[in-house]
Amino acid sequence: MNISTRQQGNSTLVDVHGDIDLYNSPEVRKIILEELKEKKVARLIVNLTGVRYIDSSGVASLVEGLKVSRTMSSRFMLYGLSPAAREVLELSRLIRVFEVYGTEQEALQAK
Amino acid sequence: MDNAVKLNFPSDPRYLGVVRGAIERFAALVGFDEEDCRWITLAVHEALTNVIRHAYHNKHDQPVELRLRERDEGMEVVMVDHGTGVKPEQMCGRELDDVRPGGLGLHMIREIMNETQYMPLEGRNELHLYKKRGTKTSVGE
Repeated sequence: MNISTRQQGNSTLVDVHGDIDLYNSPEVRKIILEELKEKKVARLIVNLTGVRYIDSSGVASLVEGLKVSRTMSSRFMLYGLSPAAREVLELSRLIRVFEVYGTEQEALQAK
Repeated sequence: MDNAVKLNFPSDPRYLGVVRGAIERFAALVGFDEEDCRWITLAVHEALTNVIRHAYHNKHDQPVELRLRERDEGMEVVMVDHGTGVKPEQMCGRELDDVRPGGLGLHMIREIMNETQYMPLEGRNELHLYKKRGTKTSVGE
Protein backbone atom coordinates (compact mmCIF):
# COMPACT_ATOMS: atom_id res chain seq x y z
CA MET A 1 0.00 0.00 0.00
CA ASN A 2 1.14 3.55 -0.74
CA ILE A 3 -0.25 6.64 0.92
CA SER A 4 0.54 10.29 0.22
CA THR A 5 -0.99 13.70 0.74
CA ARG A 6 -1.38 16.75 -1.49
CA GLN A 7 -3.00 20.16 -1.26
CA GLN A 8 -5.79 21.49 -3.49
CA GLY A 9 -6.89 24.97 -2.39
CA ASN A 10 -8.14 24.68 1.18
CA SER A 11 -8.49 20.91 0.92
CA THR A 12 -5.94 18.27 1.83
CA LEU A 13 -6.22 15.07 -0.15
CA VAL A 14 -4.99 11.70 1.10
CA ASP A 15 -4.31 9.34 -1.80
CA VAL A 16 -4.34 5.67 -0.84
CA HIS A 17 -3.28 2.93 -3.26
CA GLY A 18 -3.54 -0.77 -2.43
CA ASP A 19 -5.46 -2.84 0.08
CA ILE A 20 -6.28 -1.42 3.51
CA ASP A 21 -6.21 -4.22 6.06
CA LEU A 22 -4.89 -5.04 9.51
CA TYR A 23 -1.32 -4.95 8.16
CA ASN A 24 -1.36 -1.36 6.96
CA SER A 25 -4.45 0.35 8.41
CA PRO A 26 -2.31 1.73 11.31
CA GLU A 27 -0.42 3.79 8.71
CA VAL A 28 -3.65 5.11 7.19
CA ARG A 29 -4.91 5.99 10.65
CA LYS A 30 -1.63 7.74 11.52
CA ILE A 31 -1.64 9.94 8.41
CA ILE A 32 -5.32 10.88 8.76
CA LEU A 33 -4.98 11.76 12.45
CA GLU A 34 -1.77 13.73 11.82
CA GLU A 35 -3.50 15.86 9.22
CA LEU A 36 -6.51 16.48 11.43
CA LYS A 37 -4.93 16.85 14.87
CA GLU A 38 -1.48 18.29 14.20
CA LYS A 39 -1.86 20.13 10.90
CA LYS A 40 -5.46 21.02 11.74
CA VAL A 41 -6.56 20.91 8.11
CA ALA A 42 -9.94 22.45 7.29
CA ARG A 43 -11.06 19.78 4.79
CA LEU A 44 -9.63 16.27 4.56
CA ILE A 45 -10.59 14.25 1.48
CA VAL A 46 -9.60 10.58 1.31
CA ASN A 47 -9.12 9.31 -2.25
CA LEU A 48 -10.06 5.63 -2.34
CA THR A 49 -10.01 5.16 -6.13
CA GLY A 50 -6.86 3.03 -5.80
CA VAL A 51 -8.24 0.86 -2.99
CA ARG A 52 -9.65 -2.48 -4.11
CA TYR A 53 -10.08 -3.97 -0.66
CA ILE A 54 -10.79 -2.58 2.81
CA ASP A 55 -11.45 -4.56 5.98
CA SER A 56 -13.00 -3.66 9.34
CA SER A 57 -9.71 -2.25 10.64
CA GLY A 58 -9.57 0.07 7.62
CA VAL A 59 -13.18 1.09 8.18
CA ALA A 60 -12.33 1.73 11.85
CA SER A 61 -9.51 4.08 10.76
CA LEU A 62 -11.95 6.05 8.61
CA VAL A 63 -14.52 6.18 11.43
CA GLU A 64 -11.86 7.46 13.81
CA GLY A 65 -10.90 10.13 11.27
CA LEU A 66 -14.53 11.16 10.96
CA LYS A 67 -14.97 11.41 14.72
CA VAL A 68 -11.76 13.42 15.18
CA SER A 69 -12.76 15.72 12.32
CA ARG A 70 -15.99 16.50 14.17
CA THR A 71 -14.12 17.46 17.35
CA MET A 72 -11.72 19.58 15.28
CA SER A 73 -14.57 21.19 13.30
CA SER A 74 -13.04 19.94 10.04
CA ARG A 75 -14.74 18.38 7.02
CA PHE A 76 -13.98 14.70 6.35
CA MET A 77 -14.89 13.27 2.96
CA LEU A 78 -14.36 10.13 0.91
CA TYR A 79 -14.45 9.64 -2.84
CA GLY A 80 -13.83 6.96 -5.46
CA LEU A 81 -15.11 3.94 -3.54
CA SER A 82 -14.66 0.64 -5.37
CA PRO A 83 -17.64 -1.75 -5.32
CA ALA A 84 -15.89 -3.80 -2.63
CA ALA A 85 -15.17 -0.77 -0.43
CA ARG A 86 -18.74 0.49 -0.82
CA GLU A 87 -20.12 -2.97 0.06
CA VAL A 88 -18.08 -3.10 3.26
CA LEU A 89 -19.30 0.34 4.35
CA GLU A 90 -22.87 -0.65 3.51
CA LEU A 91 -22.61 -3.95 5.37
CA SER A 92 -21.34 -2.14 8.46
CA ARG A 93 -24.21 0.40 8.08
CA LEU A 94 -21.61 3.19 8.03
CA ILE A 95 -22.01 4.48 4.49
CA ARG A 96 -24.64 6.93 5.72
CA VAL A 97 -22.36 8.59 8.29
CA PHE A 98 -19.69 9.57 5.76
CA GLU A 99 -19.75 12.29 3.12
CA VAL A 100 -19.14 10.15 0.03
CA TYR A 101 -18.55 11.54 -3.48
CA GLY A 102 -17.97 9.87 -6.80
CA THR A 103 -15.08 11.97 -8.05
CA GLU A 104 -12.37 14.28 -6.78
CA GLN A 105 -14.02 17.23 -8.50
CA GLU A 106 -17.31 16.56 -6.73
CA ALA A 107 -15.56 16.33 -3.35
CA LEU A 108 -13.59 19.52 -3.94
CA GLN A 109 -16.69 21.43 -5.02
CA ALA A 110 -18.86 20.17 -2.13
CA LYS A 111 -20.35 23.09 -0.19
CA MET B 1 -12.54 -32.91 6.81
CA ASP B 2 -11.66 -34.98 3.75
CA ASN B 3 -10.77 -33.43 0.43
CA ALA B 4 -10.02 -30.11 2.10
CA VAL B 5 -7.46 -27.61 0.90
CA LYS B 6 -5.29 -26.92 3.94
CA LEU B 7 -3.29 -23.78 4.47
CA ASN B 8 -0.84 -23.38 7.34
CA PHE B 9 0.71 -19.98 7.98
CA PRO B 10 1.95 -17.76 10.82
CA SER B 11 -0.27 -15.14 12.43
CA ASP B 12 1.53 -12.33 10.61
CA PRO B 13 -0.71 -9.63 9.06
CA ARG B 14 1.76 -9.43 6.14
CA TYR B 15 0.30 -12.69 4.83
CA LEU B 16 -3.33 -11.56 4.92
CA GLY B 17 -3.30 -10.63 1.24
CA VAL B 18 -1.88 -14.02 0.28
CA VAL B 19 -4.55 -15.85 2.28
CA ARG B 20 -7.32 -13.66 0.80
CA GLY B 21 -6.15 -14.61 -2.67
CA ALA B 22 -6.43 -18.31 -1.85
CA ILE B 23 -9.90 -17.96 -0.30
CA GLU B 24 -11.26 -15.91 -3.21
CA ARG B 25 -9.98 -18.39 -5.78
CA PHE B 26 -11.35 -21.36 -3.85
CA ALA B 27 -14.79 -19.71 -3.60
CA ALA B 28 -14.74 -19.11 -7.37
CA LEU B 29 -13.73 -22.73 -7.95
CA VAL B 30 -16.69 -23.91 -5.85
CA GLY B 31 -19.00 -21.84 -8.06
CA PHE B 32 -19.72 -18.61 -6.22
CA ASP B 33 -20.15 -15.48 -8.32
CA GLU B 34 -17.72 -12.57 -8.13
CA GLU B 35 -19.70 -10.66 -5.50
CA ASP B 36 -20.10 -13.68 -3.21
CA CYS B 37 -16.41 -14.48 -3.60
CA ARG B 38 -15.67 -10.99 -2.24
CA TRP B 39 -18.06 -11.47 0.66
CA ILE B 40 -16.70 -14.88 1.64
CA THR B 41 -13.16 -13.56 1.43
CA LEU B 42 -14.08 -10.65 3.68
CA ALA B 43 -15.73 -12.93 6.27
CA VAL B 44 -12.78 -15.32 6.47
CA HIS B 45 -10.33 -12.41 6.50
CA GLU B 46 -12.21 -10.83 9.43
CA ALA B 47 -12.15 -14.13 11.33
CA LEU B 48 -8.42 -14.36 10.72
CA THR B 49 -7.76 -10.82 11.95
CA ASN B 50 -9.76 -11.67 15.10
CA VAL B 51 -7.46 -14.64 15.67
CA ILE B 52 -4.36 -12.45 15.23
CA ARG B 53 -5.65 -9.68 17.48
CA HIS B 54 -7.59 -11.51 20.17
CA ALA B 55 -6.43 -15.13 20.28
CA TYR B 56 -2.75 -14.36 19.66
CA HIS B 57 -2.69 -10.77 20.99
CA ASN B 58 -0.88 -9.52 17.86
CA LYS B 59 1.96 -12.04 18.13
CA HIS B 60 3.06 -12.65 14.56
CA ASP B 61 4.70 -16.08 14.83
CA GLN B 62 1.82 -18.26 16.00
CA PRO B 63 0.30 -21.08 13.92
CA VAL B 64 -2.97 -20.74 12.05
CA GLU B 65 -4.57 -23.54 10.03
CA LEU B 66 -7.26 -22.95 7.46
CA ARG B 67 -9.23 -25.75 5.83
CA LEU B 68 -11.40 -25.01 2.80
CA ARG B 69 -13.84 -27.55 1.43
CA GLU B 70 -16.87 -27.80 -0.84
CA ARG B 71 -19.93 -29.05 1.06
CA ASP B 72 -23.68 -29.19 0.42
CA GLU B 73 -23.69 -26.81 -2.56
CA GLY B 74 -21.53 -24.37 -0.70
CA MET B 75 -18.20 -23.77 0.95
CA GLU B 76 -17.05 -24.72 4.42
CA VAL B 77 -14.14 -23.05 6.17
CA VAL B 78 -12.53 -24.24 9.39
CA MET B 79 -9.99 -21.98 11.09
CA VAL B 80 -7.86 -23.43 13.87
CA ASP B 81 -5.70 -21.49 16.31
CA HIS B 82 -3.93 -22.32 19.57
CA GLY B 83 -4.34 -18.97 21.29
CA THR B 84 -6.56 -17.53 23.97
CA GLY B 85 -10.12 -18.76 23.62
CA VAL B 86 -13.29 -16.95 24.52
CA LYS B 87 -16.66 -18.32 25.60
CA PRO B 88 -19.00 -18.50 22.60
CA GLU B 89 -21.55 -16.34 24.46
CA GLN B 90 -18.94 -13.56 24.70
CA MET B 91 -18.84 -13.29 20.91
CA CYS B 92 -21.73 -10.90 20.67
CA GLY B 93 -20.51 -8.09 18.36
CA ARG B 94 -21.97 -4.64 18.95
CA GLU B 95 -24.86 -2.37 18.05
CA LEU B 96 -24.20 -0.72 14.70
CA ASP B 97 -26.10 2.43 15.65
CA ASP B 98 -23.17 3.27 17.89
CA VAL B 99 -20.79 4.90 15.38
CA ARG B 100 -17.32 4.18 16.65
CA PRO B 101 -14.19 2.38 15.48
CA GLY B 102 -13.86 -1.35 16.14
CA GLY B 103 -16.12 -4.32 16.78
CA LEU B 104 -17.32 -4.65 13.19
CA GLY B 105 -15.64 -7.90 12.18
CA LEU B 106 -17.98 -10.28 13.99
CA HIS B 107 -21.02 -8.45 12.64
CA MET B 108 -19.66 -8.81 9.09
CA ILE B 109 -18.96 -12.53 9.51
CA ARG B 110 -22.48 -13.23 10.76
CA GLU B 111 -24.12 -11.14 8.04
CA ILE B 112 -22.19 -12.91 5.28
CA MET B 113 -22.04 -16.57 6.32
CA ASN B 114 -25.02 -18.91 6.74
CA GLU B 115 -23.44 -20.82 9.62
CA THR B 116 -20.95 -19.63 12.22
CA GLN B 117 -19.85 -21.94 14.99
CA TYR B 118 -17.02 -21.18 17.40
CA MET B 119 -15.62 -24.00 19.53
CA PRO B 120 -12.98 -23.45 22.22
CA LEU B 121 -11.47 -26.93 22.60
CA GLU B 122 -8.65 -28.46 24.61
CA GLY B 123 -5.47 -26.75 23.37
CA ARG B 124 -7.08 -25.15 20.33
CA ASN B 125 -9.99 -23.07 19.08
CA GLU B 126 -11.99 -23.90 15.98
CA LEU B 127 -14.21 -21.59 13.99
CA HIS B 128 -16.51 -23.29 11.48
CA LEU B 129 -18.04 -21.14 8.74
CA TYR B 130 -20.39 -22.19 5.95
CA LYS B 131 -21.86 -20.32 2.99
CA LYS B 132 -24.38 -21.88 0.62
CA ARG B 133 -24.42 -20.92 -3.04
CA GLY B 134 -27.32 -18.67 -4.00
CA THR B 135 -27.79 -17.10 -0.55
CA LYS B 136 -27.07 -13.44 -1.16
CA THR B 137 -25.62 -11.14 1.47
CA SER B 138 -27.93 -8.24 2.32
CA VAL B 139 -26.36 -4.84 2.76
CA GLY B 140 -29.60 -2.89 3.14
CA GLU B 141 -30.65 -0.74 6.10
